[in-house]
Amino acid sequence: MAIAIGGRTRRLRRIVVGQEGVLLAAIVLLFLVVGALNPRFLAETNLQSIFLGNAYIAVAAIGMSMVIISGNIDVSVGSLIGCMATLSGSLAVAGWPIPLSWLVPIVASMAITSVMGFLVAYLRIPSIVASLGMMSILKGSLIIVTGGAWISNLPDGYALAQMRPLSVPMPVWFMVVLTAAAAAWMRYSAAGRAIYAVGGNAEAARLAGISRERVVMMVFMVHGLFAGIAAVLFATQLSVIQSTVPPNLELTIITASVVGGVSILGGTGTVVGSTLAAVLLAAIGSSLIFVNISPYWLRAVQGVLILATVLADLARRRRQAAHR
Amino acid sequence: MRKTLIFALSVGLMGGTALAQEQRWDGADDLPVNPLDCAGAPGEVAAKPYDGGQPNNPPDLAGKELVLVDVPKLIGIGYFNATSKGMQLAADELGNVKVTTDGPTKANIDEQITFIDNFITRGVHGVLFAANDPVAIAPVLKKALDKGIHVIGYDANAQPDAREWFVNQAEFNGIGKALIDNMAAEIGEDGSFAIVTSTFTTPNQARWIAEMWAYQQKCHPNMKWLETVEAQEDNILSFNQATTLINKYGPELNGLFGMTSVATPASAEAVTQAGKCGEVAVVGLATPNGMRPYVQSGCVKSVVLWNPVDLGYAAVHVARAVADGKLKPGDTQVDAGKLGTLPVVNGSEILLGPPFVYNMDNIDEFDF
Repeated sequence: MAIAIGGRTRRLRRIVVGQEGVLLAAIVLLFLVVGALNPRFLAETNLQSIFLGNAYIAVAAIGMSMVIISGNIDVSVGSLIGCMATLSGSLAVAGWPIPLSWLVPIVASMAITSVMGFLVAYLRIPSIVASLGMMSILKGSLIIVTGGAWISNLPDGYALAQMRPLSVPMPVWFMVVLTAAAAAWMRYSAAGRAIYAVGGNAEAARLAGISRERVVMMVFMVHGLFAGIAAVLFATQLSVIQSTVPPNLELTIITASVVGGVSILGGTGTVVGSTLAAVLLAAIGSSLIFVNISPYWLRAVQGVLILATVLADLARRRRQAAHR
Repeated sequence: MRKTLIFALSVGLMGGTALAQEQRWDGADDLPVNPLDCAGAPGEVAAKPYDGGQPNNPPDLAGKELVLVDVPKLIGIGYFNATSKGMQLAADELGNVKVTTDGPTKANIDEQITFIDNFITRGVHGVLFAANDPVAIAPVLKKALDKGIHVIGYDANAQPDAREWFVNQAEFNGIGKALIDNMAAEIGEDGSFAIVTSTFTTPNQARWIAEMWAYQQKCHPNMKWLETVEAQEDNILSFNQATTLINKYGPELNGLFGMTSVATPASAEAVTQAGKCGEVAVVGLATPNGMRPYVQSGCVKSVVLWNPVDLGYAAVHVARAVADGKLKPGDTQVDAGKLGTLPVVNGSEILLGPPFVYNMDNIDEFDF
């Protein structure tokens, strides 16, 4: 009984002072200060733009967080999203039924990440190498297939990300619902817990009867699901699809995960944190314009946030090691 | 510790805002500017001696059939299909010119050199090119000149001494004037506007912004510059930046300039999705394909670029004039059929003329 109560207090404290709490406080503080400097920042339209702008990054960061928590990484995700967005737009323009032009890229995305998962899990290729290779393949084939031509003349009803059920933009719905679902799955299901186990201590997980191979394979497939959804949101946000790989998209997604408190060493972190971090990054980007600061600072700030979070994570690990 | 760090950062970021100076013309470079006359008369062109190369004992082709090859950066894309179309148009009109287009299927300088080399071996009267690299292409072009072959560039220049003439599609001050004039026509002489560019250090964009500013000061002095933002060449980022500008300035913002073929459609999309069509004008550099939906919806009225069909057309006329001895080093103009007389600028360049403005009436004629 005493242990249970202690656990609950600790859990409560973790929520208040954990990475999620820090990010939430930073977002609120940023809104208050920039809002005081320029009240238009807090206007409803701008708040919607902030949540809308990075929603697809938050969705992709959910899967990326799982990959990183399992002790892996995927640097091909930006190229994957670019390719799947192009696939989606091409199918829609070719006259496929609109729901299929949303679903096929998601399935294709899962197939591609499954290949990567197979290479990493069963052939033991380090994930950084497997995903670097996949990045080149995807980037190259996209240029060969499209020749850089843009996709326009998308059919009516295709623009999923421009729909606004209950006057909230669709990407925001996706971001909130998927984050909640993924967070619950990772916390309460055996499969979700196994991701932490494999990433935290693969040997202990093996002794506990968890197959590293199967978990890694599953993580990459689930990651493909989220990357595919992100690609469809990305493709449907504007009425033209650029059909090139957005510059540095994979870094933005990994940044959201890491700043969200996902340990780059694996084993810890939550998808709530990565979503809050994606929102924080979008809010910083918007506030820089509102207060007339060069957007170059956004990259500098991102870099400092990454270093600060990783340093804090290392410090925490050392402390824990010392306690043992 | 983590907490402290992130808080410190957020506070530092906000503190920085107080110090930040307003730099309204961010994105322009510091090079000298040369704004054109307001009325549209061509500006004074500083005389510069001819600096092109000359072929070695070219055959006398005056009035005889002229066989040309055209080697663009790459083939199979709309833009160079359009230049090629212009060349055929000029050839049909002249009657005594045969021009064929052939080149690499991707913008690769090595393959382009191989193509030109093969044509030299096969024997032609003239080579038209759009260089993938101004320096790397020079040796093979000089080899052509050496064999008495005429060499004319268009769209993308080579080192001047590696070709006789270059048909220049647009000068920076011409683009600057066209952008500002079109914006002034849409939002009025006292309108306020912001700019979405790629990065502050991209050479072409920085040059255009500097010329826009100089021309606006001279000819539309009451227009107000609000801000320049960077958006890389990223569609969604451009959209987000343009949306943030709309949110930030509200009714104060009358117009948005897009400085790249990515930023302009994304800005138009931002205006469309914000329901501000008719309230916020979008003027910019872009290709017709990217802008077609917004021009057709009426949200965007003018897209500024040159006309690639005219560019190819002019290149063939220049080649014909050179072969006929009607365009020699030191000449100040050349006759280019339906385009009229084109001026020689910068020593050995022929200027296509003022930029072309795509609008609802003509945009469907172009596919690139």
